Amino acid sequence: MLTPYAAVFALAIMGVNETVYLIRKRLAMTIPICPIGTECDKVLTSKHKNILIISLDVWGLIFYCTISISCALVVIGVGGAVFWELFISSLVALAAVLSLFFTYLQWKVIKAWCFWCLTSAFTVWTMGAIIVLSKVIK
Amino acid sequence: MRKSSYHFLRVGLAITFLWIGVLILRDPQAWGSYIQPWALKFLPVPLEQAMRSTAILDIVVGLGFLFDFLPWVAALLGSIHLIVILITSGVTDITIRDVGLLTGTLALLIESSPLWLRNKFVKGADAMRD
Repeated sequence: MLTPYAAVFALAIMGVNETVYLIRKRLAMTIPICPIGTECDKVLTSKHKNILIISLDVWGLIFYCTISISCALVVIGVGGAVFWELFISSLVALAAVLSLFFTYLQWKVIKAWCFWCLTSAFTVWTMGAIIVLSKVIK
Repeated sequence: MRKSSYHFLRVGLAITFLWIGVLILRDPQAWGSYIQPWALKFLPVPLEQAMRSTAILDIVVGLGFLFDFLPWVAALLGSIHLIVILITSGVTDITIRDVGLLTGTLALLIESSPLWLRNKFVKGADAMRD
């Protein structure tokens, strides 16, 4: 029962680290390092960088913090496990669909790939795969 | 240490400390059973309370690593904490994992400590810095 939450928690912490890095770079008005490729800046400064005035990195941080705290609470036993399970699954499903959309934006609209955005998308999809597999293998 | 390896180690230890803190909060009594009987006599508070405090310490250390906030303080606290665990839990099948974690926190402590602190303990620390 604990294993999928441990894995999702670990991925969420990696996500927190990534989004904090991107927020720090944005606030310092410096360009983040692009470990693979050279077009991170083009994507991160495109007109699609915000949703409802709030920057995508902030949305990402809120998402990853919510997931990690939810995983911690379900393991500690605060509140009903069924509620948390449904909450985490729904949030990850929503994020997985949004990640698909953002990947499409990079591919077809912005026509540039951003290492950090793709890493975040893979992180979310991996979370989704873990949740689905944990239900199938039960 | 290369900057990228520093961040891998920092985030890896953050995950470990945070998750261990969560697990201890889940079942403090079970984690308390690892403490040797002789060490229990030195606890100033009941075991459960001591274990809850340990969990909070683990989470604070993990957050320090995660947000790279005063990482040398987090690494120092983490190292001291792990040394206490090694002394008070005795040698078991999983002791070697704590040795690995301690080595990791010590590496972060050495890497992230401010120069004034490093100069106090290591002669020529300036020259050693990357």
